[in-house]
Amino acid sequence: MPPDPALEVVDLEVAYDGTPALRGVSLTVAPGEVLALLGPSGSGKSTLLHAVAGFLVPSAGSVRLGGTEVTGGRRIVPPERRDVGVVFQNYALWPHLSALDTVAYPARRRGAGRTQARSEARAILERLRIASLADRRPAELSGGEQQRVGLARALARRPSLYLFDEPTAHLDTHVRGVFLDELWARRRDSGAAAVYATHDAEEALGLADRVALLSEGRLLQVGTPQQVYAEPVDLFAARLTGPASVIDAPDGGGPVLVRPGWACLGGPLEAEVRAVWFRGPHSDYLAETPLGQLLVREPGPPRHPVGARVGWTLLQSWPLGASST
Amino acid sequence: MPPGTAPIGGRAGATVAMGVLLAALVVFPVLRLGAVVWTEGADVAGILGSPGVLTAVRNTVVLAAAVTVAALPIGVGTALVLRRPDLPGRAFWQIAVLLPVLVPDFVLGYSWTQAYARAGFTDAVLGLHWAGLLGPAGVWLVLVVNAAPLVYLVVAVGLAARAEPDLERAARASGAGSATALLTVTLRLALPAVAAAGVLVFVLTLGTFAIPQVLGAPAGFDTVTTRIYADLSLGGDPALFLEAVTLALLLVLVAAACVAPADALLGPRLRSTRPADAQGTAAAPGRRDVRRAQALGLAGYLALTLALPLAALLLSSVTRALGVPPTPGNWGLDHFRSVLTPRTGEALGRSVGLAVVTATLLVVLGGLVAVLERRRGGRTTATLVTLTLVLPGTTLAVALLIAYGRWLSGTLILILLAYLAKLWAFAHRSIAGALDRLPPDELRAARAGGAGPITAVRTVALRPLAPALLGAWLVCFLTALHEVTMSSLLYGAGSETLAVVVLNSQELGRIGPTAALSVVLFLLVAVPALILWWVIGRLAPRRAAGLPGGATRAA
Amino acid sequence: MCVVLLVLAACGGTDADAGADGEQPEPITLYTCLSDESIQPVLAAFEESEGGAPVDLFRAPTGELNARVAADVRSGGLQADVFWGCDPLTVQALVASDLVGGWTPPEADAIPEEFRTLDSVGGHVLYLVAVHSTDVPAPQEWSDLAASGAVAVPDPSVAVPDPSVAASALGALGWFASSPDYGVDFYRDLESAGAVQVSTPDDVTTGVAQGVYDAGMTTAQSAYAAKEAGSPVDVAWPEPGAVAVHGPVALAADSADSATAKAFFSFVLSEEGQTVLGESGSYPTRPGVPGPTVPDGAPTVSPDWAAIGQDRDAILSEYQQVFGG
Repeated sequence: MPPDPALEVVDLEVAYDGTPALRGVSLTVAPGEVLALLGPSGSGKSTLLHAVAGFLVPSAGSVRLGGTEVTGGRRIVPPERRDVGVVFQNYALWPHLSALDTVAYPARRRGAGRTQARSEARAILERLRIASLADRRPAELSGGEQQRVGLARALARRPSLYLFDEPTAHLDTHVRGVFLDELWARRRDSGAAAVYATHDAEEALGLADRVALLSEGRLLQVGTPQQVYAEPVDLFAARLTGPASVIDAPDGGGPVLVRPGWACLGGPLEAEVRAVWFRGPHSDYLAETPLGQLLVREPGPPRHPVGARVGWTLLQSWPLGASST
Repeated sequence: MPPGTAPIGGRAGATVAMGVLLAALVVFPVLRLGAVVWTEGADVAGILGSPGVLTAVRNTVVLAAAVTVAALPIGVGTALVLRRPDLPGRAFWQIAVLLPVLVPDFVLGYSWTQAYARAGFTDAVLGLHWAGLLGPAGVWLVLVVNAAPLVYLVVAVGLAARAEPDLERAARASGAGSATALLTVTLRLALPAVAAAGVLVFVLTLGTFAIPQVLGAPAGFDTVTTRIYADLSLGGDPALFLEAVTLALLLVLVAAACVAPADALLGPRLRSTRPADAQGTAAAPGRRDVRRAQALGLAGYLALTLALPLAALLLSSVTRALGVPPTPGNWGLDHFRSVLTPRTGEALGRSVGLAVVTATLLVVLGGLVAVLERRRGGRTTATLVTLTLVLPGTTLAVALLIAYGRWLSGTLILILLAYLAKLWAFAHRSIAGALDRLPPDELRAARAGGAGPITAVRTVALRPLAPALLGAWLVCFLTALHEVTMSSLLYGAGSETLAVVVLNSQELGRIGPTAALSVVLFLLVAVPALILWWVIGRLAPRRAAGLPGGATRAA
Repeated sequence: MCVVLLVLAACGGTDADAGADGEQPEPITLYTCLSDESIQPVLAAFEESEGGAPVDLFRAPTGELNARVAADVRSGGLQADVFWGCDPLTVQALVASDLVGGWTPPEADAIPEEFRTLDSVGGHVLYLVAVHSTDVPAPQEWSDLAASGAVAVPDPSVAVPDPSVAASALGALGWFASSPDYGVDFYRDLESAGAVQVSTPDDVTTGVAQGVYDAGMTTAQSAYAAKEAGSPVDVAWPEPGAVAVHGPVALAADSADSATAKAFFSFVLSEEGQTVLGESGSYPTRPGVPGPTVPDGAPTVSPDWAAIGQDRDAILSEYQQVFGG
């Protein structure tokens, strides 16, 4: 018998003041799996996480954690008795507690004595290489430091499912990288499952085992990062996971989706360069072709000026089928 | 621009103008009182050492402490219960718990005697009465009922500003049950607000007069304020007048000793940069039966403390005479007729005008002080305004008469000055709370967008501040409308206020007309209050109640 | 000499009777503690009388009245031209401070001697009587109130007003204390018979009307008002007499030259003024003028106000050893 999934959500419906926020969402997260929830703001990512954590009561549907129903019917298990750890978008650090006491908090709630909880907390801070921050309060911490304390607090809970609610949304690029590296490292040795909400496609694709695309409270698609990137169910899903152009298929088979790397400059087809962006490791060209506008990515610095006439080759495309609009 | 400076208004000019106004309204009159004690050689040691005064001072301090200790849990509990979005009838309760604010406190005191004292309503119907009502216990309980809504208001604002739902969610998700999360996070975060509310209640109770006079004096329970009143009542003896002034100054000193350190300590901690429309919501759903029990508890509390007394008061106002059964056969509107004379109409117009001017000026002044307060040195002014709160109305009126009576005696302007001095702190404190929650970036953005300082405030700050401004306006308007003590001392020919006319036509003390007056005042106050409340509700930005994480759902 | 100084001071002050030679006499200002329903008809009658003028009224309970005077004195002098108090002590204190007095109108001769001094003349009088529930027999003598067991009710059955709050109660205390048959022992007997002290005479009436007390000491005006309204009470004028507390009228020292103020003072004491006062519900001081109810042959007594004024503190402290204080 396969082990129970870490999380199983069935037909979840949530409404605020009659406005639906989640409409019949169902998904499963296997033990140890990382699922990214990718969607624009307002798509229902936070709402889904809050329903799983027990912060709100869904109007319909059920939530099972590790095989145990925690939401469903008249049964609502309160957050503290759910086996989850939560990392918040705005860090949610308690202003009156030091980093050490914040991280010791979950152990204290488990019944550990103050000394033991603190030494456990110190160990976690050391593992995250922020032991030097132990005595500081949130007001004395930078955003990245605060979020690492937030992560440490979730780790201290030792749950079998982590819930990340856009943890990097308020962090700048460099700090975000440090935080994600840390997260990646922790992921390996914790073995716990995680649901990671984000609106950043790169983050979702790079971090997750599977990606769930969410829009206006509905799941559009669930699949491996490669699947959702290469085989989006529709144009909206495609745009969520990264830049994409839509052109007429050269063989006349209707519109097709082309990712920037799926075409290269040089080749039989004709185009005119309309714009060029230097991106560091690569350059992006916006090419006007008879089939439509196309975004092409080439390694290295720009090689063609705006207005140049270039040839191009289509390497790969994905047909926008009947499901597209 | 140096960091931390809010880009609002002029600089030193405004500060100086405020300082002058404060000096004129508060400092100078209080100093004039001090000069009276000094130059007329009051025997301060003798006065403060006399057994009667010592008893009154001890009673006052113990009473204020006891009221504070009891009002805090009630107010905090109310605030915690009312932030649950799933509380049945929440919108109704949010208004209902504030009703005691609308009832003039002497009305509240009278209504309790009508309900629970001997020969009161419960005695007539059930044969039950509470003998302790007339005495320290009764004074204490009614003051607690009167003060609890203030605690609720202050703490609710504090909770909304500081206890972000995510902080409690984080506690719950870290394994804390609802009670533990409440203790370790919510209450810890609300602590500065709770402390501020405690200071406010303590200081207000020091200076409260009507309820101790109605319920305590008959039982020989003296407080400093009733003692001041008794001193002034007996025969124009200069020594007694000096004793009254000395006692009033003592109250000011005690209040200053409480308020100044509290403001210095708590002020910075009450700051927050949450959006002005942030609303305190609960972190996690609770059990339905618990909510129902909480709603029932609220209903029971309000029924016993407010609804029954007010109903008993209404009954007294329509009952022809004391001692006859309050049955329909004995009902009549005689008491209302004696209260509502043609002269009342004229005075009503004057009172409404005065209340409107007072409230409007106070909102402007309160806002200015709140803005100044954000700068260095402003905190002193905020503390100063609080001092007049504690001065008994009679004494403040005497102080203003001594300071300005030479030129303004008997004019409406003097009454207006008295109202401004007395109510400034109310307006200021509620506006300051809201202003603190206005993100400075919004004003900076307006300035960067080409708006002058005033335009910036008008276009950007006014809208989110509107509920707080209207709320402050309302409290000032209502209080000024039913103010009795100061206007009855300051009025002159052609400046009689409504309360003066009504009280002069009958000696206060006859229950029928007093009850009728109270009912009229209550309606006069409650009707505009409810209308304005509705307007405030309309103006308040529509809140997406229960949205997780305080996240805005962009379209 | 004192009078000369006062007149000089008044001359230096100018104002006062600027309107004496004009068509429209200057309004004068009256400070009083009489209720509007008593004083307004008198003012209206004066304005229409020969030599009459409009009167600006400041009416307040004694406490506020004293506070206003005290404040006036410290900000440029008493604003009133005529002062009409509710008890002799207040006026005595003003006379002692040279604020009022020094002149009484010839009409004063018609007023009984016990109601007048060289500086003030009683304009109205309060009678402290016994009010009792219709369920109990009327007290024949004041001492009946203190007869323990006279009324077989376990709860406190008699109420007395507080002499440290109400000057009329102080007058009664002063009379009883100096009476050989009563003395402060009377209050001691009252106390041991279960009497309680309430704040004002009106509170006594209220309590008896509501049935809280069986009897009490209060003003005739308030007792009859309750009876007429239908409350189950009756009024008794016990032997040796209802205590008369007169309300003296006095001319402000600064208005010694004001013909209008003097005219008003005279009018109040005149047959016409006293009649209007009697019709409006107060007891006139002028003999033969009809006033509110006084039973035929009802006995009255008058305290020695000069003595009370001197010994007040001693009397009060002796009293307060009986009734808490």
